[in-house]
Amino acid sequence: MAKFKKSKSGEMPGVNTSSLPDIVFMLLFFFMVATTTKETDPTVIVDSPIGVKATDLTPYKQRSEIDFAYLGKPRNTKRLKDFKMGFALSLDNVVDANADQLYSTESVSKWKQAKFDSKPSKMRAPIESVITCVKADKSAPTGLIFDIRKQLQNVNALTIAYAVREVNK
Amino acid sequence: MAKRAIPEINAGSMADIAFLLLIFFLVTTTMDKDTAYVRSIPKPIKTDIIPPPVSERNMLAIKANNQNQILIRDEIVDVELISDKVLKFYQANEKQNVDGNFPFYSRVSPSFIEDQIKGVEKQIEELEKNDSPKEFIDVKFQELDAWMKKKAALALYGGSSLPEIDFQANIRIEVAATTQYEIFAKIHSEIEEALYELRDKESKRIFNTSFGVLKRKNSLDASGLEEKDKLELLELLYPARIIEVTPKR
Repeated sequence: MAKFKKSKSGEMPGVNTSSLPDIVFMLLFFFMVATTTKETDPTVIVDSPIGVKATDLTPYKQRSEIDFAYLGKPRNTKRLKDFKMGFALSLDNVVDANADQLYSTESVSKWKQAKFDSKPSKMRAPIESVITCVKADKSAPTGLIFDIRKQLQNVNALTIAYAVREVNK
Repeated sequence: MAKRAIPEINAGSMADIAFLLLIFFLVTTTMDKDTAYVRSIPKPIKTDIIPPPVSERNMLAIKANNQNQILIRDEIVDVELISDKVLKFYQANEKQNVDGNFPFYSRVSPSFIEDQIKGVEKQIEELEKNDSPKEFIDVKFQELDAWMKKKAALALYGGSSLPEIDFQANIRIEVAATTQYEIFAKIHSEIEEALYELRDKESKRIFNTSFGVLKRKNSLDASGLEEKDKLELLELLYPARIIEVTPKR
């Protein structure tokens, strides 16, 4: 046994970590470039349907010419019965609405107008061309989508996008 | 001067700082890209003028009921086959007007476009002379603009005339209020697939690039001018006139 025992000649030399920050910074820059910021964590469960040849919205996102609305079953299942047809609408910004309207399609006009007004007039695209992207769950009734559409029409926001998960055929 | 040893800064915690930043970005950002079908909503109109009827052959009504079944022109169709129906709708009379069940094509010649431009310009002059309401003149200017676009499109297209589908030809999506979004999205997906196929074929023939590349270049340019004329030509050849009918309650 003693044959293998190393003689205690001195302390273990430490691994040189001076290039560790460089490696981490490289990783950091990769993620900064390759990803986009999340708008919000929606309070509803959305499982998008699949589709082909959809438009990639990333350039519009980078130019902030897009607003998101999420339509799905609420995560809090106790409140399921509180909503029209069991589906709630989660918007990517706070809306100044009363409790009854907060998660219903009725607050869409107010929300859209408020989001548009919050941007300085020289830096925003005309409201007709600011996209409203509706991310709806597979099982969401289309009637609610048309309610949203009607609300957008009222504030002259005339571009809508129906979100799908792109698949390559 | 006496050389003094500069003490080194301890950079051992730099990695920790970088890790913190890295984790912050990992949490707040997302990798998956958002894809969607972009559609425009018609302007609200305040009029009770009944629009002229659209003839049966110019309509392709895609209906979906609450059982998620699809009906196209009184025929139950599998969801996967919608794109074939859309292709047929555009292509039936493309070469020659032979099938009375589908929209007819007209061939616009350069001299006809010139005549129309001159005619509209004359009308504008007269309207301005007579101090007509501004709305009337604006309508004529829009008309002039449309003809100018056609002129530019024909120049790009080459050849002696521009094939153009009936201006009334449209695709209607009629869904029930309780139709699932999955079906609604699928209909849009199938229409987009057919339109992409048609436009891509023409794009490859005329410009030698795929339609997808042109679209991508255009969306990356904030002013939207990049490749705009080419896209306008392709959209003039195969216009996406999609009408989404609000379901009755």
